[in-house]
Amino acid sequence: MSGPDDRSDEARQAMSYRIGVDVGGTFTDVVCVAADGTTTLAKAASTPADQSEGVIAGLAVLAGRLGLALPDLLARTERIVHGTTVATNALLERKGARVAMLTTEGHRDVIEMREGLKPERYDLRLPAAPALVPRRLRLPVRERIRPDGRVEVPLDRASLDAAIARLKAEKVEAVAICFLHSWRDDSHERATADAVRAALPGVFVTTSAEVLPQIKEFERFSTACVNAYVGPVVSRYLARLRGRLAEAGYGGPVFVILSHGGVAPVEEAARLAAGTALSGPAGGVAAGVALAQRGLGRDLITFDVGGTSTDIALVQDGEATLGRGRTVAGERIALESLDIVTLGAGGGSIGHVGAGGTLQVGPRSAGAVPGPVAYGQGGTEPAVTDANLVLGYLDADNFLGGARTLDRDGALVAFGRLGAALGIDAMAAAEGVHRLANVRMADGIRVATVRRGVDPRDFTLLAFGGAAGLHASAVARELGVTRIAVPVFAAGLSAWGMLHTDLRYEMARSEIGTGGVPDDAALRTIWAGLESEGRARVGAWFGGTVETKRAADMRYGEQVFEIAVPLEAVAWDTPGLTQRVTDAFHARHESLFTYALDGEEVVLVNARLAVIGRLPPMPAPHAAGVRAPAARLATRRARLDGAAADLPVFDFAALADGQAILGPAIVESDTTTVLLLPGDRAEMDARGWLSVTLPGEG
Amino acid sequence: MTTPDPVTLSVLDNRFRAIVEEMGEAMLRTAYSQILNSSRDFSIALCDSQARLLAQADHIPIHVGAMPFAVQAVVDAFGNAVQEGDIYLLNDPYHGGSHLPDLTIIVPVFAEGRLLFWSVVRAHHTDIGGGTHGAYNPAATEIFQEGLRLPPILLGQNRVPRADLVRMIVTNTRLPREVRGDLMAMIGAAHLGEKRLLSVVAKHGAALAEAAAAGILALSEAHARRIIASWAEGTWKGEAFLDDDGFGQQDIAIRATVTKKGDSLIVDLSDSAPQVPSFLNSSWPNTASAVRMAIAFLLDPEVAKNDGCFRPIEIIARQGTIVWPHEGAPVTMCTSHCSNEIVEAVVKALANACPERAMGGWGRRFRVAIKGSDARRPGRSFVWHLFHARPGGGGSSKGDGWSSAGEWHSAGGLKFGSVEMAEARFPLFFEKHELRPGSAGDGTHRGGFGGELVMRLETDGASVANTAGDGVRYGAAGMLGGHDAAPHHYTLNRADGTSRDLRTKEVGIPLAPGDTLHVRAGGGGGWGPPEKRDPAARARDAEEGLL
Repeated sequence: MSGPDDRSDEARQAMSYRIGVDVGGTFTDVVCVAADGTTTLAKAASTPADQSEGVIAGLAVLAGRLGLALPDLLARTERIVHGTTVATNALLERKGARVAMLTTEGHRDVIEMREGLKPERYDLRLPAAPALVPRRLRLPVRERIRPDGRVEVPLDRASLDAAIARLKAEKVEAVAICFLHSWRDDSHERATADAVRAALPGVFVTTSAEVLPQIKEFERFSTACVNAYVGPVVSRYLARLRGRLAEAGYGGPVFVILSHGGVAPVEEAARLAAGTALSGPAGGVAAGVALAQRGLGRDLITFDVGGTSTDIALVQDGEATLGRGRTVAGERIALESLDIVTLGAGGGSIGHVGAGGTLQVGPRSAGAVPGPVAYGQGGTEPAVTDANLVLGYLDADNFLGGARTLDRDGALVAFGRLGAALGIDAMAAAEGVHRLANVRMADGIRVATVRRGVDPRDFTLLAFGGAAGLHASAVARELGVTRIAVPVFAAGLSAWGMLHTDLRYEMARSEIGTGGVPDDAALRTIWAGLESEGRARVGAWFGGTVETKRAADMRYGEQVFEIAVPLEAVAWDTPGLTQRVTDAFHARHESLFTYALDGEEVVLVNARLAVIGRLPPMPAPHAAGVRAPAARLATRRARLDGAAADLPVFDFAALADGQAILGPAIVESDTTTVLLLPGDRAEMDARGWLSVTLPGEG
Repeated sequence: MTTPDPVTLSVLDNRFRAIVEEMGEAMLRTAYSQILNSSRDFSIALCDSQARLLAQADHIPIHVGAMPFAVQAVVDAFGNAVQEGDIYLLNDPYHGGSHLPDLTIIVPVFAEGRLLFWSVVRAHHTDIGGGTHGAYNPAATEIFQEGLRLPPILLGQNRVPRADLVRMIVTNTRLPREVRGDLMAMIGAAHLGEKRLLSVVAKHGAALAEAAAAGILALSEAHARRIIASWAEGTWKGEAFLDDDGFGQQDIAIRATVTKKGDSLIVDLSDSAPQVPSFLNSSWPNTASAVRMAIAFLLDPEVAKNDGCFRPIEIIARQGTIVWPHEGAPVTMCTSHCSNEIVEAVVKALANACPERAMGGWGRRFRVAIKGSDARRPGRSFVWHLFHARPGGGGSSKGDGWSSAGEWHSAGGLKFGSVEMAEARFPLFFEKHELRPGSAGDGTHRGGFGGELVMRLETDGASVANTAGDGVRYGAAGMLGGHDAAPHHYTLNRADGTSRDLRTKEVGIPLAPGDTLHVRAGGGGGWGPPEKRDPAARARDAEEGLL
């Protein structure tokens, strides 16, 4: 990060910028990478009512830091990549569009029956959750297609016309068209969509096969309904953002980062709005992939600690791990998504004595308002940030670079109350909250690793977001992890990551027949169809290089669940393809579940293709130049493991490349603080991160 | 004794919970059969050295209160002979088990030279021998017709199961490969629990780990007692009925007399009906578990489900009744029936003590399995189990019940498969699968709606169906003035134009292509008097076409 730009006018004229914008719950982070690799971070308060206001404000702050007028900055900007929580917030707050569903007669309750599942096993008083589309707006249409494509009941115009009349009377804003077996043949869905568009111009129309052409009606219908619910909201937001950017002088491309970690143009993000549900946390994972490419290590745990939550994901062999969708605000979105574990524990999480009498941290959060007790904005219950302050890890007078003064005495009083309820003193209570936060974060990482059969000790913990550096070392110790990296720009890493990912379009087609794996020729035909469609779509987005990656969802004959089988390494054009695809499945099954069943029938269910448009490579990071090792800034009295200790404090931004620091110590910048524990050895890496080695387990 | 500070106690509480969760995930990843990896019909527990439940994973509520009986049965059978590395197995409902298809693996955890914990995995197996495929045999009058009995046995030592014993067990089932695969997954998960507990002990020491365990149990006991103390004092009766025993006897009563005094409860089931000839009898561990499940539903959901929270409950029953049969009686249906009736009777009685906590009845289980052939796959037969058209859940003080979420014993935890996938895989055509209007029990907060299924057989030639279940005469109970829900109504509409209602305990029903199964599932019971229902909610139900 640099301060105001002090280069010559000529040098600045020649520069071009790429800007990443990450809208969080409290702050909007804006990261700019110049042609010479210089990276600049700016922050502005988020504006939940219309996130685009905060985006423009953040860009204005950035322009100021670069010594430019906003129009000049935007005129020299090559591309803007954006992470937005508009879709997620619309779902969480139930502020989406008024949606109707047209669906196969006799099957109108698929999204309300939820496959027989209800959350919270022992909470039988939990009231039934209303479906995203109420039953009276789930309108039956007479039609029926068989799994082999045969038409059992032709599309009945009279029932369609009756449904459309209802749509008009109900003044709906969006329509999801969801027919059984449209994964096999979507002609009824398309004809219905045409009729609806003609009758109700301006209404957002989505079909289930266009969103997710895959067998299993609950997942497809639910995803289509979510898409219709958030589509109009996301479309309106992105149109406003485009408008504001245009007003401010920007005419270049705007991309949105999607749940799968790739980016797409705003038009695509509006069309497949359900795919933006993880747009917020996706940037951090993209950053992990980019740092892996820069030599941080092939296997990373991304550990993003924010105010109310912690997001954890894996980068394995340099690639982000994708999963088959997720549930957001109780609604299933079955699109290919980054496998991110979100935990309700962050800097704002409140420490309290639970109903059972034990100390707990989170999931309740102090949020931005009132915030932790130390903010002095009326908070009375101590949060994790309060504990970090009371324990001496944070500087009361220099929080966020002095933008805010923290009230340590107030926080201490709050811990006195918490301690009294447990029979311990205030400092012990603060230490307990810090320790329990570490334990919960470590458990979150166990969910993302050991519970998926992955050993975390083989990974490097990539700690970022404002608060991760304070917990990373203790969390790593809980897990036996011995390597940690904290990027210099940890607080804006998600926005930075968005700039380092490519255009991506995920495609899937169910190809299940009566079983088995199709023959060589059929396999080639299936994927050739996906290739041409995918290349056409991504080719329309930009003129660069397009790559594709094949994968399949397969299972043994009578199993219920499919597993994802990567097919990138399978030779495609020589005879014996069916056998090679089958072998790839056996091998994958064995590596996941410890056994394979040679001789058992193997079924291919979904063909998948990831279509990737490579964006121009980012410039190499700006070299800081040779400088002298930084001396300690100060010594701070802190509490470690129940005892007082005087910790040396270093300025993160002033560290020389290769400079080593031994724990215990504190390394801090305006936006992040790293706590090194005894035995830790940190070294500043020239590529832009602090590399920490922990003492090994034995 | 070492006393852990409150922070260490919370830390270890988190660790124990995380360990059972991890064991559960390991089971999911490695289990072979779909009943385990799809329906998750298995449970995990950690017990302390005194066979007290310390932590459990929230999978199948009816398993949970029963697991300590399995550990105790091992202790009773082997006592001081238990050694590090031993692997124990049992399923016998008269020696620590619940019903025969549920096999339980029990592994002792030794550290610092003594037994500290037990790691326990229970899973429902796809077959366990006996008179019918899949263990549910409505014709059985003795446990020997239900399958292979295993009292506690030492399956292996030094963490290796004996190959000959495993072979003997799987040879006695119709699906030896599935049973072997699932058994190995269970042993692997139990050993994972052992390994994780050992790392906790290595870090904190045996004395502290044990003291923390005791402290955790004491805290949840205090938590449960605080809640119970807030309920009204008194003695109340509740009853629920089974339709019939399949041998002509109807209206079989489960009666609970529940006394709430101070912070304790006494649940007396002695007035329940005598034991029956068929598989509806409940083994004693299953009965105890059903009572504990009912109380767990009435406490706060966040109360830790361990030995501590069940200490305030005393359970009384009389041997020779349906809730505690003499050894040798068949019991396979008991994890659903008469478990559901036991829960309902207890909740009904306690609805008087804690009306805001009581909920309307959840649905009954009525299984159908069809075995036949598919012309698209010559030479292969298929077995299809009905999981669609689930019954509804009960209403409560907080709101209306969940539709299509199942029965008391599964409570929204059992997933039904995709209609599209079923049509692609089986010669079945789903004409209709929707909510069943009018099925919910009315109330201030109504129950959830049951499902309705119209399914046509397109089999290659004749096929055959078995049924097992209950609830065509008695619907889920209304509570506190709420109405009972509609009971189940299953009809077989023959291709030849004739039609008949299905009974709940039938074996060998012949079916022909073109026959249609019409399932109308019961709803959930209502809570509170219907006249107090918000008129807007009633209008909404009418507008939704659900009344």
